Amino acid sequence: MSVQADTTSNSNAQDTGPSKLSAFGSAFVAQGFTMFPVLLLLIIVGAFVAPAFLTSRNLINILEQVSVLGLTTIGLTFVVLIGRLDLSLEGVVGFAPMLAAVMLVPAAAGGYGVELPGWMALFVALGAAGLIGLFNGFMVVKVGLNPFISTLGLLVLLRGGVLIISNGRSIYSPGEALTYLGSAKILGLPVAVIVFVVVATIVGLVFQFHRYGRALYAVGGNEEAARAAGINVDRVIWSAFFFAALLSGLAGVLLTGRLDSAVTTQGQGIIFSAFAAAVIGGVSLGGGKGTIIGVVSGVLLIGVINNLLTLAQVPSFYVQASTGAVIIIAAVLTTVASQRSSGVKTRT
Amino acid sequence: MENSHPIVEMRNITKTFGSTRALRGVDFTVMRGEVHALVGRNGAGKSTLVSALSGFTSADTGAIRISDTRFEATGQNYAALIRDDIAHVQQTPRLFDHLTVAENLFIENPLIRKKFGVISHKSMLARATALLNEWNIDIRANAHAGELDAGTRQLLEIIKALSRGVPVMILDEPTAALSNAEKRVLFEHVKTLKNAGISFVYISHHLDEVFEVADIVTIMRDGQVVKAREPVGTLDVETIANLMMGEETVRSAREDHTDKSAPILLQAKGLRVNKFATADIDFEVRRGEIVALAGPVGSGKEDLAMILAGQKKPQSGQVTSPRGTLPTIGFVPTDRHASGYVGILGVRENVSVGGLDILSGPLGFIKGRKEADLVAQLARLTNVISSSLEQPVSQLSGGNQQKVVFARSLCRSPDVIVALSPTRGVDVGAKEQLYALLRDLASKGLGVVVVSDEEDEIEQLANRVTIVFGGKIVDELVGDYSIKDLILHMEGVA
Ligand SMILES: Nc1ncnc2c1ncn2[C@@H]1O[C@H](COP(=O)(O)OP(=O)(O)OP(=O)(O)O)[C@@H](O)[C@H]1O
Ligand SMILES: [Mg+2]
Repeated sequence: MSVQADTTSNSNAQDTGPSKLSAFGSAFVAQGFTMFPVLLLLIIVGAFVAPAFLTSRNLINILEQVSVLGLTTIGLTFVVLIGRLDLSLEGVVGFAPMLAAVMLVPAAAGGYGVELPGWMALFVALGAAGLIGLFNGFMVVKVGLNPFISTLGLLVLLRGGVLIISNGRSIYSPGEALTYLGSAKILGLPVAVIVFVVVATIVGLVFQFHRYGRALYAVGGNEEAARAAGINVDRVIWSAFFFAALLSGLAGVLLTGRLDSAVTTQGQGIIFSAFAAAVIGGVSLGGGKGTIIGVVSGVLLIGVINNLLTLAQVPSFYVQASTGAVIIIAAVLTTVASQRSSGVKTRT
Repeated sequence: MENSHPIVEMRNITKTFGSTRALRGVDFTVMRGEVHALVGRNGAGKSTLVSALSGFTSADTGAIRISDTRFEATGQNYAALIRDDIAHVQQTPRLFDHLTVAENLFIENPLIRKKFGVISHKSMLARATALLNEWNIDIRANAHAGELDAGTRQLLEIIKALSRGVPVMILDEPTAALSNAEKRVLFEHVKTLKNAGISFVYISHHLDEVFEVADIVTIMRDGQVVKAREPVGTLDVETIANLMMGEETVRSAREDHTDKSAPILLQAKGLRVNKFATADIDFEVRRGEIVALAGPVGSGKEDLAMILAGQKKPQSGQVTSPRGTLPTIGFVPTDRHASGYVGILGVRENVSVGGLDILSGPLGFIKGRKEADLVAQLARLTNVISSSLEQPVSQLSGGNQQKVVFARSLCRSPDVIVALSPTRGVDVGAKEQLYALLRDLASKGLGVVVVSDEEDEIEQLANRVTIVFGGKIVDELVGDYSIKDLILHMEGVA
């Protein structure tokens, strides 16, 4: 098969040749860059409004803050790409590190007295998260439940589960083994940020260039077609739930590290921000569409807005409402942009 | 019958999608009570033209009149204006899977609406049952549309449109998914309605059908009309085909690359294809042969093909290969909309999804260069016409979507190809190209299994015809046979 790649040879006779500008526009939107100009604008505005904004300390601070949301959103993107959703991720963010904490700390500090060695901390947290993901996959693939209801149930269950295993008390200073990732710094750069960047890069590459990523998009776009093409659809669904929960567990560990405690209310409300970030980033809730570049832009946008509002000393109740308003505006922007550029209507 | 009065007039219609000029100044006229065939190669703009007529997509410019409604197109939606003048059966099925047959038939139908928009379920079911009887369809009116096979779904769409009582009907490739018996019933209804003064715009790639139902033919090419309103009597199949394609198309003949001693690639033993099957099927595919599975709809021929392709579990029995491991199988599913393509993904991704394993390296990352080369090559072999290989497949014309599905099945370099209605919706020129491709693959030692309802297609391709009826093999035709033999053998079971 030594045929030269020549994409234009199939081109329709009635084509006038795609204009460079519109082709660039489509690619820009399709790859998930839509929000970056907005982000840039916000940063410029921010620099004028709050002098403290454009300092490297503040910027690193923003990155550190968004790393938890970022990992959760990347996790969520796995399931959203296949046209499903997973509300229980929020529960995982709280449950996984709490379980590790109670297994680690002595009874006097609220633990079970098992006092596992430190190296087990990550293993327990991520192991629990992974198992939860497999359970979700089982419910959807084998039992055939709608993921909305099965993961909603699990979310409530995990919230209660956190209270049960911790006896209703937060665990402070659960030990460096569990808090390292979320609190340590290397050359002034928080490890959490490094973790986020590394995960985002790997997942981004997998989505774009790996056959597993291709399978995710195909299953999300048309499950039956994916099956007929020879993709093991059940395995893809199952694994998507697994990775989603795993990354949320990692997000939980980072959060525990940053707070230096496993808090009983940890992660509450994060699933809303994660959905918002995903949609702003151009991920279609109908499945089959979305990129990690977009997801990262969505996460950054939410982070920057929160930071700006705080720096501008907007009263805290206004912060929440304004974030909501901005989310809606941003979602409108991405949706319109993607319709304009591709002509394909997506259900966001 | 008054034939002199136009009921549809379209003048200078244009429509552009991005950089594709799908319609470039088209005039189109339909008289009252005529069946007007619209033909043209894949991507010529037929579906776009009739969509502009029904308002499903809005024309950019031009003047349109349907019975007493006239307006200038500006790109704005005008479907509501002509709602009561025209009905449109689209190439892509649009039934609601989770609604019942009756609900699908009567959705938004004033006949069953009572006060305050309340719907009378009793009268709806009764009317639906009557309609189904009239059309000889053997399903319950309260069955879910999602459970039905492609042919029945297509018929339902047509019935739904026909029962709206509008003066102009558009049928965009209505017979693509229909069996011969279903076609007969459809044609009867079309003729009856025509005599009652209803006008039809009829799109089909089966030119014999055009001669059977149509009065007038209009031929399109590259977004323009190349022959307007020719009476069907003055034309013949070859002339239409040549005008459509813009070049000579030659009907190709069967080739024989079989060899009795060639090794068996795929072997089925003791198969019960579905729960109604009463006998076991033994079947094998050898290197270099093209086998056609024929028989009426519901005979089990499609089940047999799906089982051979590993897409369905048999009731009992198994499919093996003398070599031990099963060969690589390329599969073309029967319903491209349901299980053929992923609409929001591009041509490249749709084709390569069929062969992700051979296109990726040891770590599973896809080799971009290799993918681009292979997809470009397959798209050319199957004659896919798209503005680029990144164009979403949902934007391609129906026939080109089918070619993408065909290309996908070749992506893994299969040893056996199992293709159900492989050329559904494909124009005469591209069809010949796909036939040549299949023959070429057979000559290189592949085994090909084709399921088809078209006698022509079978006769042009198959070295062996296996006729399936009631879940068992009832007849077989091998070697040198004529289309007449084929029809006789098939009638034997019908
Ligand atoms: N939504 C769309 N976006 C972009 N291009 C489109 C869209 N719909 C149709 N086209 C393009 O318009 C052209 C005409 O398509 P159309 O569907 O009218 O062809 P057709 O004559 O019906 O072909 P077929 O016989 O294959 O059904 C094609 O080049 C097609 O790719
Ligand atoms: Mg068409």
